[in-house]
Amino acid sequence: MTTIASRMAGAAWLRAASPVLLLVVLVVGIGSAAPGFMRLETLGLLLSDTAVLFVMAAGLTFVIMVGGIDLSVQAVASLASVVVAQWLPVLGYAAFPAAILAGLAVGLLSGFVHVRFRIPSFVATLATGGVVAGLALLASHGQTVTILEAGRAQARWVSGSLLGVPDLILIGALVAVGGLIVQRFTPFGRYSAAIGAGEPAAWASGIRVERTKIVAFGISGGLAALAGVLLAARLSSGSPTLANEMLLPAIAAVVVGGTAITGGVGSVARTIVGALIVSIVRIGMTFLNVNIFAQQIVFGAALVLAVAITIDRTKIPIVK
Amino acid sequence: MTRPTAQVSAAGRGAAAPEGVWPWLRRRAADWAPAVVLLGICVALAVLNPAFMEPRNLVRVANSAAIPLILAIGATFIIAMGSIDLSVEGVMSLGTMIVAMLAANDANANDFGWWAPLLAVLAASALGAVNGVVHVGLRIPSFMATLGIWFVGRGIANTALGGSAVRVMDPSIRDLALHRMFGMPFAVWIAIACFLCALGVERLTRFGRYVFAIGGGEDIAELSGIAVRRVRVMAFTLAGFFYGIAAVLAAAQLGQSNAVIADGRLFMTVTAVVVGGTALTGGEGGVLNTLIGVLIVGVLANGMVLLGVSPYVHQAVQGLMIIGAVALSTRRSRLQFVK
Repeated sequence: MTTIASRMAGAAWLRAASPVLLLVVLVVGIGSAAPGFMRLETLGLLLSDTAVLFVMAAGLTFVIMVGGIDLSVQAVASLASVVVAQWLPVLGYAAFPAAILAGLAVGLLSGFVHVRFRIPSFVATLATGGVVAGLALLASHGQTVTILEAGRAQARWVSGSLLGVPDLILIGALVAVGGLIVQRFTPFGRYSAAIGAGEPAAWASGIRVERTKIVAFGISGGLAALAGVLLAARLSSGSPTLANEMLLPAIAAVVVGGTAITGGVGSVARTIVGALIVSIVRIGMTFLNVNIFAQQIVFGAALVLAVAITIDRTKIPIVK
Repeated sequence: MTRPTAQVSAAGRGAAAPEGVWPWLRRRAADWAPAVVLLGICVALAVLNPAFMEPRNLVRVANSAAIPLILAIGATFIIAMGSIDLSVEGVMSLGTMIVAMLAANDANANDFGWWAPLLAVLAASALGAVNGVVHVGLRIPSFMATLGIWFVGRGIANTALGGSAVRVMDPSIRDLALHRMFGMPFAVWIAIACFLCALGVERLTRFGRYVFAIGGGEDIAELSGIAVRRVRVMAFTLAGFFYGIAAVLAAAQLGQSNAVIADGRLFMTVTAVVVGGTALTGGEGGVLNTLIGVLIVGVLANGMVLLGVSPYVHQAVQGLMIIGAVALSTRRSRLQFVK
């Protein structure tokens, strides 16, 4: 018995540690192949790139932890970028919280639709994502909205740097710390893990399953909107299709980091590792001159593989 | 086999009739709701704008519904199994790319004529089969397997196209969609043919019955000796086949293949299937429902254009339609926990 238990613990440990090992191998590999990679500016750029992806993926982590999925994140991020770009001249700094609140509202709505009407989360969020994409197109008349000079000054908190460290990295770190605290030290974080691990048991022990799920979707929407805001500030523009290529890398970051798509197992910390892996693989492929379009093939295949490795099959007797 | 059962159930229904027409009507109401909604929308549009009923406009509706119908027919078999196929856009991108690159085009010297659409449908079916094999073989949920394949397909297509649009110069391939027969574009006739084939597969073949048996209750289907895994792979292959035909028509209709040719198709497809009354939980609905669903979405889109509503609003309305249709069609007593 003990040998089986210890072997299982060993397997679990290996499963948790393998993303970190993969990350180390990737960094060392690319670092030795291309010495320019280890320079401070390159690393700073890499981390800034990762920060935006991480913020979105961190939100997704909460939804995946409860066993759901949020396919609306890219539409929410795009909408947030449009809101910021259009309202900066009118509202000034208030445009940033307005955009994030809009995302939060959409997330809560997705969660509400999902639990109240008992619609599977991927369809519910596909639908709300469609509604949001329509709204973003409508608000922007389908065009890119440029942030003018005055707005750029107001967006300096994203594009600037503090003591030589790009602000984006600091924002990403803040989200990481906040996410970890929420997951480890709040009832909500514990309930989320419990729901993901076994919804009937969580429900039977008196956890308010529906409310917890709605909050998880709210966090996902809010952080997706924050990612959209960061993107808009960085590119000095908002567009209804700005974040359209981000859904797959974001889900990949969560899953590659070791959070199981079946829920219950995972954390924002793992998503940090996952986001770094995704960014480094992307940069590595650029170094190796892999066509930017072909990178989608790699990510698609990697996603399937990572899901297959991390999934907990005892939880889904019938795989639909 | 099926005929005697049908008679028995008809007899049963006849016997139950004296007990009251209302309970029977109410039971049947859910089945007829999509058709009633379609009729209601048509009547409302005809009243609001007489131009809706003009033959020219009706042909336009049919033409714009052709490709969505073929896509949605493919997805119906997947959703009837209780699974989902998110790879619609990826498979379709791959198909249109192959048509454009192998037929006479403005990017290379290829001119394989009819081999181009044939190989496109073949490749799309193959990618559909990959969906099924990955889903069944690695035992991962279909929405994850097909999400991955979505981007694999798109990646292959975009890599081959190199980010540019490639025009189809072969007039006979373009005629596949544009040539008119009895006043209707050929694309419409192909869609009707696809519909009849799919209806045949659904109603008359063992495979069609198995798909619904699996959707109704996979454990029971398995225990009754159905080779569930094989049926699943076959269904995904069949779906890929239909996406391939839709891809050929899209390439023929637009005369090109580009990076965004399939954008928004997944959304429209899922809306149409679900609005038609095929439940996401599987086991209910069918291609006939999907025909009605596609017409609802198509007529509504056409009506919004006629009434001068922004096309962007239409996407938002579609999203609300998905939520409404799924919420109405889900029998909540059946599922305790929804993920």
